[in-house]
Amino acid sequence: MDEQRPEAVAAAHVAGNLTARERIGLLLDPESFVEYGVLAGETSSPTDNQAADGLVAGAGLVSGRPVVAASYDRSVRRGTQTDRNQRKLSRLVYLANSHRWPFVCFVDGDGTRPGDPLPAPPIVVAPRGRWEVYEGLAELSGWAPTIAVVCGRALDGNAGMAMLADCVIATRNATLGARDMSAGSVVERPVAEYASRGHIDLLVDDDAGAIAAVRQYLAYYLVEASSGTPSPAYDTIDSIIPENRRRAYDMRKIISAFADADSVLELGAAWGRSMITVLARLGGRSIGIFANQPSSLRAGAIDAEAADKAARFIELCDAYEFPLVAFIDNPGYMVGPEAEREGIARHHARPLSALHHRTVPLYSVQLRKAYGLGPYAMSGFGSSRVMPDLRLAWPSVESGGMSLEGAAYLVKRREILAAETPEEARAIRDAYAESMRDAASGLRAGRAFAFDDIIHPLETRARILSMLERVPRSFGASKKHPIDPR
Amino acid sequence: MDQKLIDAVIAARGAQLDAARPDAVARVRAGGKMTARERMAALLDPGSEVEFGAIAAQTADGEWVPEAGGVDFVGTIDGQTVIASSTDYTDHGGGYGAGRLARLFALALEHRWPIVFFVDGGGSRARHPRVGLGHVELNGAIGRFNLFDGMAELSGWVPTVAIVSGPSFAGHASLAGFSDVVIATGGSSIGMGGPPMVEAALGKRLTASELAGVEMHQSTGGIDLLVEDEAEAIGAARRYLAYYRDGPSGSPSSKAEDIARLVPADGPYDVRPVIEAMVDVGSMLELRPIFAASVVTAFARMNGRSVGILASQPVVADGAIDEDAATKIARFVELCDVYAYPIVSIVDTPGCVIRWTAADGSVAIEPGVSRWHARALMAHHHRTVPLFSVQLRRGDGLGSAVMGGFASGRSVPILCLAWPIVQIGSDDGFAAVHNHNAFDDVVVPMETRERIIRMLPHLPRRLERSEKKHTVDTW
Repeated sequence: MDEQRPEAVAAAHVAGNLTARERIGLLLDPESFVEYGVLAGETSSPTDNQAADGLVAGAGLVSGRPVVAASYDRSVRRGTQTDRNQRKLSRLVYLANSHRWPFVCFVDGDGTRPGDPLPAPPIVVAPRGRWEVYEGLAELSGWAPTIAVVCGRALDGNAGMAMLADCVIATRNATLGARDMSAGSVVERPVAEYASRGHIDLLVDDDAGAIAAVRQYLAYYLVEASSGTPSPAYDTIDSIIPENRRRAYDMRKIISAFADADSVLELGAAWGRSMITVLARLGGRSIGIFANQPSSLRAGAIDAEAADKAARFIELCDAYEFPLVAFIDNPGYMVGPEAEREGIARHHARPLSALHHRTVPLYSVQLRKAYGLGPYAMSGFGSSRVMPDLRLAWPSVESGGMSLEGAAYLVKRREILAAETPEEARAIRDAYAESMRDAASGLRAGRAFAFDDIIHPLETRARILSMLERVPRSFGASKKHPIDPR
Repeated sequence: MDQKLIDAVIAARGAQLDAARPDAVARVRAGGKMTARERMAALLDPGSEVEFGAIAAQTADGEWVPEAGGVDFVGTIDGQTVIASSTDYTDHGGGYGAGRLARLFALALEHRWPIVFFVDGGGSRARHPRVGLGHVELNGAIGRFNLFDGMAELSGWVPTVAIVSGPSFAGHASLAGFSDVVIATGGSSIGMGGPPMVEAALGKRLTASELAGVEMHQSTGGIDLLVEDEAEAIGAARRYLAYYRDGPSGSPSSKAEDIARLVPADGPYDVRPVIEAMVDVGSMLELRPIFAASVVTAFARMNGRSVGILASQPVVADGAIDEDAATKIARFVELCDVYAYPIVSIVDTPGCVIRWTAADGSVAIEPGVSRWHARALMAHHHRTVPLFSVQLRRGDGLGSAVMGGFASGRSVPILCLAWPIVQIGSDDGFAAVHNHNAFDDVVVPMETRERIIRMLPHLPRRLERSEKKHTVDTW
C-alpha cells in the first residue's frame, strides 16, 4: 500500500505522476476495487518487499459497470514485466474475455525484468503470463474494449502491449521505445511522434487527464442514456458552411453542433487529418462519427492515412455496436504523385471494405461535395447490403464523377490552354462550372433519388435520431472481427 | 425462323471480333500490346471460353453504353474454371464493362470461381451517361453487385488477380487495388487520378508513369509482381492460380542437400536459396520481392502441397521487421489463411524496428514496436491455417511472434523447429530444446523438408466452407 511506501509515492509525485494505486483508485468508482495478487512478490519469499511485483491489478466499476484494470508500478523494478506480474494481467484478460468487460492498463515499464526466471522466448507452448497477455489482447480485440494508457516510459514488451490495445491514450511527457540489444542502450521517442503516425489515439496532459479520458471512452461502451441535450450550437448548424462554395470550414463545428452537448471525444486527432473520427452521443445513444475535414491541408481529400483511419474507426464502431454517422464533404480520394507514392491505390479500398463488411447501422449526410469515389468511401455503394440506413444530403450538396472545376479542365481543356492569362483561364473554368451547377444541385439529386431526402440542416438531428431509435443496440454472442490495429 | 434475325445477331457478334476492327487492332499493335480478345485467348485453355455479353455494347439506337469497353468470359485455366475479363482501351477508353463484370462477379460468388482481369483504362468518363456529372443513384444496382462492393464481397472468398498492362486510373485502379494479387507490366501505371485529373486538381502536368508508374509501386508495395510484357503477365497469373489446387507430389531441388551450407552461423545470407532448397524444385513464386525486402513472401509447393512461405531475409537490413515488413507479413498471413495454404515461416530476425523520417527527410531506423507490428500479431492470432516455424538463428524480442504467432493459445505453430545454429539467449539449439522445451525439435537442416512434408498429410486442406473466413486487407 502507498502508506507504507512514502519514498515511492514522493518519487512519483515529484515526477508529476500519480502512483499506480492512485491511478487505479481514481479510475474506478469509490470502494469498488477488488485486487488480484496483492501479495504477489518478485520472489516467493515471505519477506519479499517488491510491492505486488510491480503491477496493481484487479476488477472494479466505472460508471457503475464492471471493468478490469491494472497499472504497472515504476517504483518497483522500473515497472518491468515478469512472469508473475504478467500472469496477474492474464487473469484480468481471462475475466474480460469471459464477461466481455473492458480491460484498462496503465503502461509504465521498461520491458522484461532482467534475471526474471521466465525463459526467453520462443517457447513452444508457454502457458505463461507474458505470452498470454499479448495473445489475450489479440483475442479481446473486437470483443471487449482494451485501453492502454502510456503514462511514463513503455519499452519493449510494455510498448507491444500498448500497440495491441484498441485505444491508446498517452500523457504528453511519456515515451515509447525499445532497448537496443546490440548497442546496450535505450531508444525512446516522445509519444507525440507515435501519435502523428496513428499509433496513439489520444494525447492528454497528465495522469488525471488520462483517467478522465478513459472514463469518458468507457462510458460510450458501458452506459447509454434514453435522452440527451442538444448542443446550444445546434441552432446555428445551418450557418457553418460558407456561402462561397469553394471556402473551407472546420468540420469539428458541425460535429459538435450535431452531437449532444459536450459529448464528443475525438480519436486520432494527430494523424490522417483530412478525416475526423469521434465518439459522441446522440439523444443519449453512443455513436461514432467520421467526417471529412475541409479545413485540413489536403482539403478533406481522402489520402492513404485518412483511408486507414476511417477503416479502423468503422471496424471499432462495428465491433462495439456504435451506430455510425458520416458527414461527407470531400473532393474525392487524394490524387497526385505524392498520394500515389503513399499507396492510395491500395489504401483507398480499406474503408470501402470496412463499410461493406459492417453490420452496424450507418447514417450519412452529405453536406457539400463528394466527387469520384469520394461518396463511396464515406457511405458505401448505392447497391448491395451495405447501404446506409438513411442517406441524406443538405441543399448545398454537389457530386459527380469529378469536381465541376475538374470537369471543366477536361471538357474545356483546349480553350483553357489557349487562354492568354491565368485569369482568363480561370474565367473559362468558372463559367463552365457555373453552367453545370444545376446538374449537380441538391434539388436534382433529390429528383434522381440519389438520396433518401434532401433536408434543411436543422432537420438533421431529428431525422437521424428518429431512425436510430428504431434500432436498439444489441451485442452478438461472439465477436464479429478483430479491430485492425492500423 | 426469319433468317434475317439470325444474320443480324451473327453480324453484330462478328463486328466485335478483332478481324472486324482493323484500326483498333493496328492501334494495339502499335503500342506493342495484345488486343482484349488476344489476352483472353492466351489466358484461357483453348476451346474453354464462353463469352458473356458479346454484343451488349450499344443501346438499341447504336449509342455507346457504359457496359462497353471490354470482353468477359467464363473459361478454364489448366482445367480450373475462372472468370476472365479484359478492358479494351480502344473502345471508349476501356469503359468499365460494368454490367457484364458485375454479372460475372455474381457467378464467382455463387460458384467460388477465381477471377483474372486486365484492368487498364481511365475510369469513369467525364460525361458518363449514367453517373456523369449527376449523382450516384440509390439502389442503382447495375447487376447483382455494383462493381466495387462485389470486389469487397469476393475478397477472401475467391482468388482475384488483376493484370495491369497500361495506364490504369480511377475506377480501374480501384479494381486493381481491391485484388489479392496485382501483376503489372513494365511502363504501366496505377493511380487514383489520371494525368488530366491531376492537372485539373494540382496544376501539374505529368505523364502516367511519372505520376503513378508501376516501377514506383514495386518498391512502395502497390503491386505484387512486375513483369516484362503481357505474355509474361498471363504466365504469372496462370502460375499463381495453379497454387489454388494442390498437386499430387513433388521432387526436392538438387540444392536440397546443400541447405546447411547456405546459412552461416553469423552474418548475412540470402534466404531465397534456402527456401528453394526446402521446397519442390522450381515451385517458388515470390510476391512483392522489392517492397519491404527484409521479409520474403512466396508461394511454393512441398511434395505437391501448395504452401505460403514467410521468411526473414537477413541480407536486407539484417532481417529486421519494419512497419512495411510487418504489414507485408500481415497481409500474406491473411491471404494464406483465407485460401487455406499452410504457412512455412523461416525465422531469423533481430526483431522489430521503426523507420522514423525526420522533417529534413533523413531516416533513422530504431528498435521499436508500432501498430503495424501489432497488426501482424493480430493476423497470426486469428488465422486457423497451420503454420510451421523453422527458426534458423535469431528470433529476438517480438520478432519470432511477428513471424510465426504467439507461443501460447491458438496461434502456436503446428510444428516449431529450429536448426542447431539457433540462438536463444546464451544457449545453442540443443540446450534450448533440452532446457526450455523451446522447440518441438531441433533438426539437422536437411531434415527440415521431410519433417514438414510428413506433417502435411495430417492437415488436410480445409477449403470447403459455407462462407468466407474474412477479407484480405488490401494493404
